[in-house]
Amino acid sequence: MIEEFVESLKRFESYKGQIEHVEVIPASTACYGKLEEPLPKTIEDYLSRKKIQLYSHQATAINRLRQGRNVIIATPTASGKTLAFNIPVFEVMSTDQFATALYIYPTKALTNDQLQVLRSLEKETGIRAVPNVYDGDTPSSQRSSIREKSRIILSNPYGLHQYLPWHYKWNSFLENLKFIVIDEAHVYRGVFGSNMALLMRRLLRICEHYGSDPQFILSSATIANPQEHSEKLTGREFEVISDDGSARGRKFFVFWNPPFIDIDRTIRRSAHQETRELLVLNVSKRFQTLCFTVSRQMAELISRWTREDLTQKSPKLVGAVAAYRAGYLPEERREIESKFKTKGLIGVVSTNALELGIDIGSMDSVIISGYPGTFISTWQQAGRAGRTTADSLATLVAFQNPLDQYFMKYPKDFFGRPHEQAIIDLNNQYIDLGHVMCASAELPVTSKDEKYFSNLDSSLAALKSQNLVRETTRGYVYSGLSRPVETVKLDNISDRIVKVVCSGKVLETLDLTKAYDEAFEGAVLLHQGDTYIVTELDLATQIAKVKQEDVDYYTEPLKTIDISVIKKYEEKNESVNFGLGELEVTESYYQYLIKKYDEVIGRQPLNLSPLSFVTVGMWFTITKEIESEIEGQNLDFEGGLHAVEHAMIAMAPLYAMCDRWDIGGVSTPIHPDTGQPTIFIYDGFEGGIGISEVLYYAIEQLFTATLRLIENCECSEGCPSCIYSPKCGNENSPLDKKAAIIILEKLLNTMRKDSNRPKQQDKSSTHKKE
Amino acid sequence: MSVQRKRLLKRASESLGRRIGNGREYSVISEQDEPHHMHGGRIQETWVYQEEYSNAMKLKSKLVQQFKGKALEDVIPGKIISNNQGACYCIEAECDTHIKNTSLRKSREVILSDLKLLSGVGPARERKLKQQGYQSIRDLTKHPIWRESAQEFLSRVDLKDVSSLQSWFNSRLPKSHPLAHYLAGFCRSEDFAIIDIETMGLFGRPIILLGIAKSRASGLGISQFLLRDISDEAGALWELVSHLDGNSAFITYNGRAFDIPYIQERLAYYGIRSSLNNPHFDALHFARRAWRSRLDNCRLETVEKYFGVQREIDIPSTLIPEFYESYLKSRNVGPLVAIVEHNRQDLITLANIFSKLYDEWNI
Ligand SMILES: [Zn+2]
Ligand SMILES: [Zn+2]
Repeated sequence: MIEEFVESLKRFESYKGQIEHVEVIPASTACYGKLEEPLPKTIEDYLSRKKIQLYSHQATAINRLRQGRNVIIATPTASGKTLAFNIPVFEVMSTDQFATALYIYPTKALTNDQLQVLRSLEKETGIRAVPNVYDGDTPSSQRSSIREKSRIILSNPYGLHQYLPWHYKWNSFLENLKFIVIDEAHVYRGVFGSNMALLMRRLLRICEHYGSDPQFILSSATIANPQEHSEKLTGREFEVISDDGSARGRKFFVFWNPPFIDIDRTIRRSAHQETRELLVLNVSKRFQTLCFTVSRQMAELISRWTREDLTQKSPKLVGAVAAYRAGYLPEERREIESKFKTKGLIGVVSTNALELGIDIGSMDSVIISGYPGTFISTWQQAGRAGRTTADSLATLVAFQNPLDQYFMKYPKDFFGRPHEQAIIDLNNQYIDLGHVMCASAELPVTSKDEKYFSNLDSSLAALKSQNLVRETTRGYVYSGLSRPVETVKLDNISDRIVKVVCSGKVLETLDLTKAYDEAFEGAVLLHQGDTYIVTELDLATQIAKVKQEDVDYYTEPLKTIDISVIKKYEEKNESVNFGLGELEVTESYYQYLIKKYDEVIGRQPLNLSPLSFVTVGMWFTITKEIESEIEGQNLDFEGGLHAVEHAMIAMAPLYAMCDRWDIGGVSTPIHPDTGQPTIFIYDGFEGGIGISEVLYYAIEQLFTATLRLIENCECSEGCPSCIYSPKCGNENSPLDKKAAIIILEKLLNTMRKDSNRPKQQDKSSTHKKE
Repeated sequence: MSVQRKRLLKRASESLGRRIGNGREYSVISEQDEPHHMHGGRIQETWVYQEEYSNAMKLKSKLVQQFKGKALEDVIPGKIISNNQGACYCIEAECDTHIKNTSLRKSREVILSDLKLLSGVGPARERKLKQQGYQSIRDLTKHPIWRESAQEFLSRVDLKDVSSLQSWFNSRLPKSHPLAHYLAGFCRSEDFAIIDIETMGLFGRPIILLGIAKSRASGLGISQFLLRDISDEAGALWELVSHLDGNSAFITYNGRAFDIPYIQERLAYYGIRSSLNNPHFDALHFARRAWRSRLDNCRLETVEKYFGVQREIDIPSTLIPEFYESYLKSRNVGPLVAIVEHNRQDLITLANIFSKLYDEWNI
């Protein structure tokens, strides 16, 4: 079916060679495993009633967990990871009547989804676990009874961070804690991951206080370093289980490139319109299809356009397509999920809200509209398609940016690449200090806690110097003037939530930055395919008022990013000028576009107070000489600056142990604060998070490594391995690889002359890209 | 550690110190501002008027001047006491305020005559039952339907089991109901423990002073346990716990939400196991019912002014953390004078409020 469908696409009237590549991933047969000891009868009966035979990876996980090992299961989507950890948890629940388990999920939606799974397992096995969700939505009237009665509690890191200071209310739960389950563990990387790692140490410290020593069970998407990642995340030793024993049908992975629409072959057809056509074709074939888009707005638009098309082609199917995204109210989401499961819906267009494990079953087909930025995400999304025996289809639709186009040109590179590493930094002093402070408000901190926090002595001394802790006969006790967990944030997502209200009823909620993009006055807000016009965005009350109005256009705001230096911490003023200090990053929204099917049909001025935040960043300037030399060679100086900025950010994780998504960058041919061409690299976190500072101190090594990366890259004009950035706000344009090499060489030369050191033999290095 | 890491650590801690300082839990507003406009969605946020604020700051510098170089013992008479959790500074005083209570007989009569205390009896049914001659719950022990429930309730009344009666009341009546106040008649007056704490903020920070007042023949016996520095906290907490037993009945102002859970949290912080599930009369709930319509708010200070009490030395509770912080930094005991006095006054006012409330109920 799938194979014929892919072939038939080529005969389609609007086919103009869009298929750049078809990768056929062969089927695999099931490999079953054996348990070393039999399971309790109730669980055994449940499995045989459901005709479940354990796959090899599930059996291994259960065997290892029963030996008391910590386990990370890093197998693909839909390989039965959940069952592999629920079985040992329920087994312990049945043998130890007091045992408890804590399940941590990255999102509330996922928590609610898994609650249903656990409740049905409780019912089927008759093992009393009283699973319940405990998070910000839990009514206060139910809280104490959940803490006292539930043996499995599901929550999220943000909640946990808030609850730890109240550990005494959890004492019976904590005393009996046997398992901590962390699902989707790959999500905890970069700064968010480092925060999670320290949160886990705070939790373990409290468990020790209550006399428990829980075992960890992690599940993760495929990442390059599951062992290291799990050990850094928890501080414990782990057994990695990554050999997938589940059965899978063949998968066809199609790379779809929108065709050129002009004679010069420079402009391609809109990827959104291609996506819509592909979705219509898939749905018309009755393939259950999940389409991932890069924005909430696109999820709405593509579902709307698809329904428009279907109204003409097959009206019966119009109701079978819906949008699904973050911001919908929980009831709405659940309704879509259950309709999808029961096949009442055939096509769902989603943001990455559905990337993580929400159980909606497996699809026949997945369309990925635009490269999502990481291999981890791409494979997670593609993994949503796949049946145990039948074939499945994944289609990546390319945008016209260099990064997407590169994969279209070199698909083998895509399929041969290892997945990203999940990086966690346990030595980041900003993060470390924040959590030591939080810990000191939970239990007095003493030298016994060195096993949880590195460099504890110096952290405590630093906190003491700010009167945030006080040294007492009991240890260090928190004594600051406000609540530490309010100040220490786990990620950089704004906690200012805007409510969208339509005639007095809450339609949805979005965070402030999203509201700036989608809910400014005059914006068209799409919700479940309906259009609403925003009549007012009140920033003080954080309410956006909308009215329903059927329009056929949509809106898109334009913004500029400005950086200004507020305070210089340090400066090196030699031939190259380097600075480190506090920066204010300001996003000004000045205009919005009115669009219809990707075409601009009008523009309106936008009057919104700018969004700004203060952070820490580093910068350096490039001299006029370098600029003229590059222009003399007919190369693009701005493209060179931009390329250097991208490549430096790509290399930064080597020195600062962060994720590239934690860092921001701006390059400009002239900056008012320096009066020269300047590149800024800054921490994407309010108040700074210690990344740029480390980079500033390692600047020469960073330049050297960046130059090596670009020079040794086998591409000619740049590629994702060197100068293309998956998070560029300017569509990776302009970029000039040769100019970038010249800039870096000149900078390094001058720096070396300055320090009077003999020139190092960098160029002879055989260091190759990975 | 390298010089660079040191610099980084210094900046990181300064940045943290700044953000923690900015996060202070109150805002200073001018008299014209309506406090409720200042809330901005945060739950615990509170406010202090510009004038109050500047008066308090003036008072602080006056006290600092006055007690420069003086020792604690010379300024606030008291003694250092030690126990198995540590030590603290104990200040004892007596005053002639009495806690007025209702008699057991009156309480019993009032409570038993409210048939609505039984589950399933609403106002209409109560009227009917009374017409039929069932005047009290005692009479209902002979009623074919309500017999069991009435007997159960009566046995709790006869046992004078205040805790179990309170949880019965909680499921049937609002917390502010006068009958919940009348329940105090079941307590012996020597079991009352008026409790009020001063803290470094809203949860998660040290309690700096724990005050307890008990009824004595001559009036109130007040004991205050003060932290000379944070090391004294566990000792002070333990001292308070040792002043209580299973029969103690707490009288607090917002203590259900604040003082008692706060004390429990701090005990747990030091790993001290102790449950404080005693009978508890939180006068804030009763005060709201009695005076809300007559007052702007029911803060203790506001209610007190309504009674015509004038404090000689006073600071808004919100500013206590700053006063103590300034003592910790300078070791000048001046600011402590204001804190100790504030707490002592609160205890006395609380005794007065508790007594005066009986006049408000039309029973
Ligand atoms: Zn390249
Ligand atoms: Zn860029």
